[in-house]
Amino acid sequence: MRDSVLAFDDIRQDFPVPGRSTAMRVLDGISFEVRAGKFTAVIGPSGCGKSTLLQMAAGLLAPTAGAVRHRGRKVEGVNREVGFVPQQAQLFPWKTLAENIELPLLLRGVAADERRERVAQAIRSVALDGFGNHYPNQLSGGMQKRGSIARTLVYRPDVILMDEPFGALDAQTRMVMQSDLQTLSAEVGATVVFVTHDITEAILLADDVVVLSQRPSRMLAHIPIDLPRPRDMFEPFRNPRFDAAYETVWAAFSAQVAGARRPH
Amino acid sequence: MNEIVERALDRPAGKPAPERAALRARLAVWGQRLLVLAPGIALIAFWQWASGRIIKELYVSKPTAVVERLYELFASGEIYPHLWITGQELVFGYLIGVGAGIVGGYALGRSPRLSAIFEPYVMAFYGIPKIALAPLFIIWFGIGMWSKVALAAIMVFFLVFYNVYSGVKSVDRELVNLAKVMGANERQLTTHVYLPAASPYVVLGMRMAIPYSVIGVIVGEFTSSMQGLGLFIHEASATYDPAGVFAGITILLAFVITANFLAGRLERRLLRWRTPMGAAPTDI
Repeated sequence: MRDSVLAFDDIRQDFPVPGRSTAMRVLDGISFEVRAGKFTAVIGPSGCGKSTLLQMAAGLLAPTAGAVRHRGRKVEGVNREVGFVPQQAQLFPWKTLAENIELPLLLRGVAADERRERVAQAIRSVALDGFGNHYPNQLSGGMQKRGSIARTLVYRPDVILMDEPFGALDAQTRMVMQSDLQTLSAEVGATVVFVTHDITEAILLADDVVVLSQRPSRMLAHIPIDLPRPRDMFEPFRNPRFDAAYETVWAAFSAQVAGARRPH
Repeated sequence: MNEIVERALDRPAGKPAPERAALRARLAVWGQRLLVLAPGIALIAFWQWASGRIIKELYVSKPTAVVERLYELFASGEIYPHLWITGQELVFGYLIGVGAGIVGGYALGRSPRLSAIFEPYVMAFYGIPKIALAPLFIIWFGIGMWSKVALAAIMVFFLVFYNVYSGVKSVDRELVNLAKVMGANERQLTTHVYLPAASPYVVLGMRMAIPYSVIGVIVGEFTSSMQGLGLFIHEASATYDPAGVFAGITILLAFVITANFLAGRLERRLLRWRTPMGAAPTDI
């Protein structure tokens, strides 16, 4: 595929288990590609190694076997072409919101004038005007999350990796954030890989949904979602095609959920 | 944060003039300060009363005698050489100990390889009662100032070292990884992530180290010296001069209180981000 930005190529990952000689296999032969300017959601049951895939794409973890390729180049060492939005907002607590958002620009040697301008614009884009001088512990959970996203968008990374970023938010905040993320990523044409365990969230946000199985994870399905955009994050069920998409994803996913319910 | 909420709550609904509210706040602050002073004043009053009545004045002196003695010491200039020497010993010992503690703790905290090799040694040296080293330091560094500086520095070093070491080790890995992905090099990781993350531990170590530097210096001067407050106190107690002993202790107390005050200022400055000035907004 020519427009592929990120390619996971037959990824396998084993983790050592304390007190046992055999390693635990977490990922087993995962291959998929992330298309440029598209939103790819990775869903799977908890503990299936979804987040591990993101760490590999960021170059923070080398796979046991297989490779991640970013624009054809094998990822080895920290990949500075990506942006990472972690599960918790993880703003640096000793920096104000504006300083947090400025940090990646500062680290990359962007000139002061341009930094100021881009930080102001990023703060505006996530509707946090007037909070630039607040420290993270003076901001609510949702505001911190917005800050975290702004901190990533501000340096326009080639790919944005998001690790269940809305998992810890309450339902209303989550819907607002999903809607905002759709708008923001569409505005800049961002390529996003989004890990979640929420099927609805995956379908609403993604152009492609990758479904993983339980540990050791294999890829169960790679499903394109061709619902028109912008999508309604608040009342998704009003769109009859949402049901069809949900059914397709659920068909691939249900066996895993049933498996989890089986008595051990 | 709570303080602000409480203050907002106990404001009457009638909305008083701003000056009156400010005056009340100031009165409340002074009231609090008086409350803090009360036990100290009571203790001094009891001391004054009990001296000569319950206990012989020869044993405990009395506050008025101590004040008188302090006045004499400063008026005659007798105390200044002692103050000057002890002050220098404290400042040098403290700064050297803090500096070495930060550098050592940081280096070992950052490098698992270094810490694997050196941690057992540091741990072993930590266990040595540093006061037992005082005679040795006199031999090594002479009877002058530097043996006391060394003793104070080594006592301060271990405290700061352990605080900084555990502070750097406890830095959230995810924050470090995030900074790396954002493009941080090693130097930038130090200035933007590790040092600020460890700063609460550094400050804690620095505060805890203040009394230890005083102990190191005074013990050193007790052991052997030509000048200094420790020597002054030692001589006063050897010549049955309790007023002199308490005068010396009062001066040391003033040292520690001043140092604590300065450390408190530094703490507020460095750890601004940990004390929110206002309540977090509740909207998203």
